[in-house]
Amino acid sequence: MPSNLTEKDRADLVAFLDGELDADASEALEAKLARDPAARAEVDQLRRTWELLDFLPRPEPSGNFTHRTIERLGPERTAPQPKRRPFALPRWAFGVGWAASVALAVAGGYVGLTLLLGSGTPRNEPTEKDLVRDLRVIENKRLYDLVEDIEFLKDLDHPDLFGEEPHGS
Amino acid sequence: MAVTGESSGQLALRDPDVRLMYRVRDDEAGAFAELVERYQHRLVAVMHHLVGNLTEAEDLAQEVFLRVYRARKKYLARSKFSTWLFTIANNLALNSLRARQRKPVVPLRTTDSGPLGPRPAEQLVRDPGSGPMQRIQREELAELIQQALAGLNERQRVAVVLNKFEDMNYVEIAEVMGLTTKGVKSLLSRARVNLRAALSSYIYMDGAPVPVPEGDEE
Repeated sequence: MPSNLTEKDRADLVAFLDGELDADASEALEAKLARDPAARAEVDQLRRTWELLDFLPRPEPSGNFTHRTIERLGPERTAPQPKRRPFALPRWAFGVGWAASVALAVAGGYVGLTLLLGSGTPRNEPTEKDLVRDLRVIENKRLYDLVEDIEFLKDLDHPDLFGEEPHGS
Repeated sequence: MAVTGESSGQLALRDPDVRLMYRVRDDEAGAFAELVERYQHRLVAVMHHLVGNLTEAEDLAQEVFLRVYRARKKYLARSKFSTWLFTIANNLALNSLRARQRKPVVPLRTTDSGPLGPRPAEQLVRDPGSGPMQRIQREELAELIQQALAGLNERQRVAVVLNKFEDMNYVEIAEVMGLTTKGVKSLLSRARVNLRAALSSYIYMDGAPVPVPEGDEE
């Protein structure tokens, strides 16, 4: 007696055998199989046909398969390289990096501090050190004001201008 | 299996073959050879089931590995490594089978016995009551099954081989073949009905009782 399975029923049946049918559909199919002996016979035939495929040999590749495959790569094959580490840098680069970081931090601190203290000593106002260095000039400032320029001052210092004092006078 | 929402890194953690492929991508010494060693048996067996010839199966399997190597720098895991590998294998096998169709080789039919008389398998069909499992050799049965498999169209054959021998579920087969799971279900259903038709004479050779519908019992 031929089964009354439709193409969809048959697809469900195969999926059922493959364990691919969801629980509800499986339950419905099992109920149908219980009522339909022809369908049960068909399930059995499909299952047995599938099991026949186990008789197919499973040939092994030749012993040198890997070697031949790699040989076929020929010039495409790149030379083996050591394992690449992510972000691998030479050791000295870390030292340079640290030094650069410290220098940047110092420079940044100096600039920041200068800006922060910007309202302190004005750049054109002499410091105490400047005053000590220029003390003699400051003491004679009144005289220097009378001098027109530095060349005139040098001329005054020239011995020919006033003559040499006689020795022993 | 298609894995959606899973990052490449997560896949690498879960699938050791993805990690191996990343080592191939990074040109790590010996990684490619390890990959070939790991997959050659499965790949050659699948190709043999598809093309029915060991030499051709090995050539195709090698070509799959070469393509994997050439594509290594672009490799990014989106699914299991084996799914990607068998997608390449599927494309190559289908191309090969279609090329063969364009240059058809006339197969020798089992009924073309020639002057030496019927082969044991043919004898089995002609003389079903003579204890066929005792007479027929396993290799001959395998040959008949291989012919039945070769009688399927290429897509049915690929689906059957992946399902039966690679134990792939419908979702994985769909991804490899670029189909929907519904399409795979339909493909496998038709394939199994065709196989049953081709092998109906050999299904109950092991002496198991043929199920008789209840209406025919009397």
